[in-house]
Amino acid sequence: MLDLVKKTLRYAEKISDYAEVRFENAKTNKIIIKNGNLEATEINKSFGISIRLLKNGFLGFVSTNDLKLSNLKQYVNKALKLAKYSKNILKKPIILSEEKTFKDKYTVKQKTKLENVSLEDKIKKIFEIEKELLKTKIKLPIRFFEYVDETREKIFINSEGSLIQSKIPRITFEYIITFVSNGFSEQRSFQYGASGGWEQFKKWKLKQKILDEAKILPKIAKTKKLPTGKYDVILSSELTGIASHESCGHPYEADRILGREAAQAGKSFVKKEMLGERIGTEVVNVVDDPTVPNSYGFYLYDDEGIKAQRRFLIKNGIINSFLQNRQTAAEFETNTNASSRANEWFSEPIVRMANTFVLPGNYNFEELLETIKNGVYIKSFMEWNIDDKRYHQKYTGLESYLIKNGKISKLVKTPALEITTPAFWSSIDAVGKDLGFIAGFCGKSDPMQPIPVWLGGPTIRLRNIVLV
Amino acid sequence: MNFIKFALKNGANDVVIEKNLSETKQVRFANNNIQIFKNWNTEIIRIFLSCNKKIVNTTIFDVSEKSVKNTISNLIKSAKFIKPNQDYAGIAEGPFKYKKIPKNFDKKIVNINLLDITEKIINSALENSKNTAGIVYTDVGKRELETSTGIFASEKTTAIKLSVRAFNKDEETGHAASCSRNLNSINPEKIGRKAGEISKLAKNPEKLESGKYDVIFDPLSAANLLNIVGVYSSVFFVDSGMSFLRGKLGKKVANNIINLIDSGTIANGFYSSTFDDEGVPTKKTTIIEKGILKNYLHNTSTAKKYKTKTTANAGLIVPRPHNIILRNGKTSKEKIFKGFNGLYITNVWYTRFQNYLKGDFSTIPRDGIFLIRNGEIVKSIKEIRISDNLQKVLENIKNVSNKPEWIIWWGLNFQIPVFTPFVLVKNVNITRSTM
Repeated sequence: MLDLVKKTLRYAEKISDYAEVRFENAKTNKIIIKNGNLEATEINKSFGISIRLLKNGFLGFVSTNDLKLSNLKQYVNKALKLAKYSKNILKKPIILSEEKTFKDKYTVKQKTKLENVSLEDKIKKIFEIEKELLKTKIKLPIRFFEYVDETREKIFINSEGSLIQSKIPRITFEYIITFVSNGFSEQRSFQYGASGGWEQFKKWKLKQKILDEAKILPKIAKTKKLPTGKYDVILSSELTGIASHESCGHPYEADRILGREAAQAGKSFVKKEMLGERIGTEVVNVVDDPTVPNSYGFYLYDDEGIKAQRRFLIKNGIINSFLQNRQTAAEFETNTNASSRANEWFSEPIVRMANTFVLPGNYNFEELLETIKNGVYIKSFMEWNIDDKRYHQKYTGLESYLIKNGKISKLVKTPALEITTPAFWSSIDAVGKDLGFIAGFCGKSDPMQPIPVWLGGPTIRLRNIVLV
Repeated sequence: MNFIKFALKNGANDVVIEKNLSETKQVRFANNNIQIFKNWNTEIIRIFLSCNKKIVNTTIFDVSEKSVKNTISNLIKSAKFIKPNQDYAGIAEGPFKYKKIPKNFDKKIVNINLLDITEKIINSALENSKNTAGIVYTDVGKRELETSTGIFASEKTTAIKLSVRAFNKDEETGHAASCSRNLNSINPEKIGRKAGEISKLAKNPEKLESGKYDVIFDPLSAANLLNIVGVYSSVFFVDSGMSFLRGKLGKKVANNIINLIDSGTIANGFYSSTFDDEGVPTKKTTIIEKGILKNYLHNTSTAKKYKTKTTANAGLIVPRPHNIILRNGKTSKEKIFKGFNGLYITNVWYTRFQNYLKGDFSTIPRDGIFLIRNGEIVKSIKEIRISDNLQKVLENIKNVSNKPEWIIWWGLNFQIPVFTPFVLVKNVNITRSTM
C-alpha cells in the first residue's frame, strides 16, 4: 500500500503546489445489547485514500475507496479542475504554515490484542454487566450497552517529505440505564474510552461501577429539587472535564476564532488579541495533550504529519495558546501545534482537540469540602450545552449532594449551573490532586466528524455559584 | 449479484445485500471565501445476515467478488459464536412492485457548477450583511438492493443542500438552509437573502429576563425539535429508553392541531426513496394525528415484535424516518405574527436531554432572536436558552402556518430532513446565564 500512496503523491505533487496523501485501514467490531438481548454485531473493514492539495491558493480534497492508480490520478485532476474555476471568487488564497518534516512509524502497544479476544468473549463480558444489574432488585427495565473496538492503520505522506505510519487500537463502551418506578424515572449514560488493547476494558471495572450508579438512581428519583440560590460548588472530574472541553478547548480552536466553522459549530468569544489575558484564577491550568498514554484521543503525529505536543491552553488563569493546524497557523503567523485531525480516510483534517483537561492541584477531597458551609457537590451530569461562541453554558447535575458545614449531606435533584465561561473559570479557588477522564466523540465539521477525545481533570471547587 | 445464494448456501437464513455508489461534492466557504472543495467517490456494499436469529452485519469497501464472498464467509463464522437476538423476526418477503418517486433524480445536479451556486448565495447574503459562511453540497447516488426473500430494487437519486450563515457584527447573525432532490426546487438567492436579512434585523441584541414566553419558531428552529420527535418515534429509540414517546401509543402527546408524519414517498423529499433498507416500498406513516401518538416507526422484524406491520422505515437495526413532515395549517405566516407578543426564534442548536424518557431538555437559540410586540419587532435578543420539556412544548403548540419549508443542516441532532412551517408555542420556558 505504501507504494501506491507514494505513486499517488508523486502524481499529485507534480501538478500542485502542495500535496498530501493519507491512506487509512480500520477494522471495527461493534456490539449492541439492548434490554438483555444481543441486538446486533457489526464487523467492518473500512479503507480508502484521501488526497489534499493546494494550487494557486485553492485547497482541494478528494477521497475514494477505488484504489487503482489510474483512477486516483483522475480524482486528483478533478480537484484541480475546480481550482481553475474558483479563481474568480477566491478572494484570499489558502496558505499553509512552513513546518518541519517528520518520518516515523509508531504503534500503540496492546497487552492483549483486540484481535486476539474473540467476539464471543467480548459479548460474554458485556453480558456479565447485564447479569450483575439484573441480580439487584432495582427496577431497571431499560438497559442499553454499546461496545466498539477499532484498530486503525494510517499512512500519511506529503510533498515536503513527511512520512508517518501509525497503528492505533481504540476501545469504547457506552451505556444508558433507566430506572422506572411508580411514574418516576431517572437515567444515567456514560462513555468509557481508551487506546490500547483488551486490558483497557478490564481496567474500567464496569460491573462494579455501573452497579454503583444503578443503585443511586432510585434514591435520586425520590429526591427533592435543589432550591435556587448561591452555593459553593464542588465539581467532580467528570464535570471539570466537560467544562474543559466545551468552554476552553472549543473556543481555543483557531479555525473557530478565524470563522471557518462559523456556519456549523460557530465562532468563538476568544479573539486573537486575547492571548495573554486573564480568563480564570491563578489555580486554573488547562491543557490539551494528544500524547497521554492510552488516552482515547491519543496520537503522536497529527493528520498533517506534525509531531504532537502538549498544548497549554490556560496557564495560571491566563489564555496561553490556541489549537492550530497549518492553515490557521499561517493566518496567525505562528506554527501549528499538531491539532489537525480527520476522523476517517474520507474526512478533511481540521483543528480538533485530543485530550483536554485541567491539571491537578494540591487538595484532597476532604480539604475541598472543609471550608464549605453551604454548598453542593455535583458528582455526575446528564444534560449540558453551550452556545456557539462558547460563552454561555449549562451543566445539570445528576448525582448531587448538599454540603453542610464541610460534610456531604443529603442528595439533591438537578442542580443546574447556567454560567458564562469567564465566570466559571474565575470562580475556581481550589483544585484537587486527583485526575479522572471521561471519553467522548467530539462533533465538528460538515459533514460531521465525530472524533475520539478524553475530557477530564481533578475535582474542583467554585465559590458563590448560583444554582437553579 | 450471486452473493445471496452464496450466503444461503453457507448457512445464512436471511440475507440483505445493498450496493451503493455515490459521488458527493461540497464547497465550503467562510469569510466570503472558498475554504475548500471536496469530492467524495465511494462504492460500498452493505451486508446484513441472520443465522438462526444471530445478527451480523458489515459495510465493505473492497467490492470485488472475492472480497464479498470472503466477508460473507467470515460473518457466518462469527455468527456461530454469538447469541441469538430473541426479538429478531425476519426480513420482508418479496417481491414488491415499486412506484417511481417524482423528482428524485435531476440530471442538472450531476454536472452542476457548485461555484456558481456558492457565488449566488454569498452575494445575496451580502446584500444585507458583511460576512458569510456555509456550504453547498450535492450528491449523485445509485443503490441496488437484493434479499434472500425475493426482493430486488434499485434507484438513482440526486440531492442538493445549502446552508448559509450571514454576519454583520459577531452577535448579529442570521442562518438559512434548504435541501432538495432537484435543482429547480431550490433557490440559492432566497436562502442567502434570508440569512442576510435576519442578520440585519438582529442589530444590537440585548439580554432578556428569564421566564415564560410565547415563541414563534421559524422553520429552521422548529426543524430542530421536530427532527428529534421524528427520530424518537423509531421503535429502536423507544425500546432503548431514549424517547419520551415510550409507552404513549394512543395517548395525547401534542396539541390537537398537530399532525406529524413520516413520508418516504413525498415528491422532492430530500430522503424520499423507493424502498427502505430491506427493500420494502416506502410509504407515508402517521406518527402523531390530532395530537395523539399513532405509530412508532418499524422495520419488518420490530413490527412483528409489536404485532403490527412494517412502516417501511428499515434501518435493519435502527428504523429511521425518511422525511419528517409537520402538516401545515391554514394561517399565513403574516397572520401568525399579526398581533403576536413574544419571541421569534430563527434557529436553535445543541439540544440535550436530562432525561430522554421524561423529555426534559434544553436547547440554545442562535442567530436572530427577536422580541415581538403587536406583531412588530421591538428588540433583537441574545444569550438565552430554552429549558423545557419536549412533550409540553408539543402540547403548547397553538398554531402552525400554511407554508412549510424543507430543512436540513448541520445543527440538527439527526441528519433527517424536516418539512415544517412556522410554529407558535405558548409559555416556553426561557432561561439565561445567572452569572
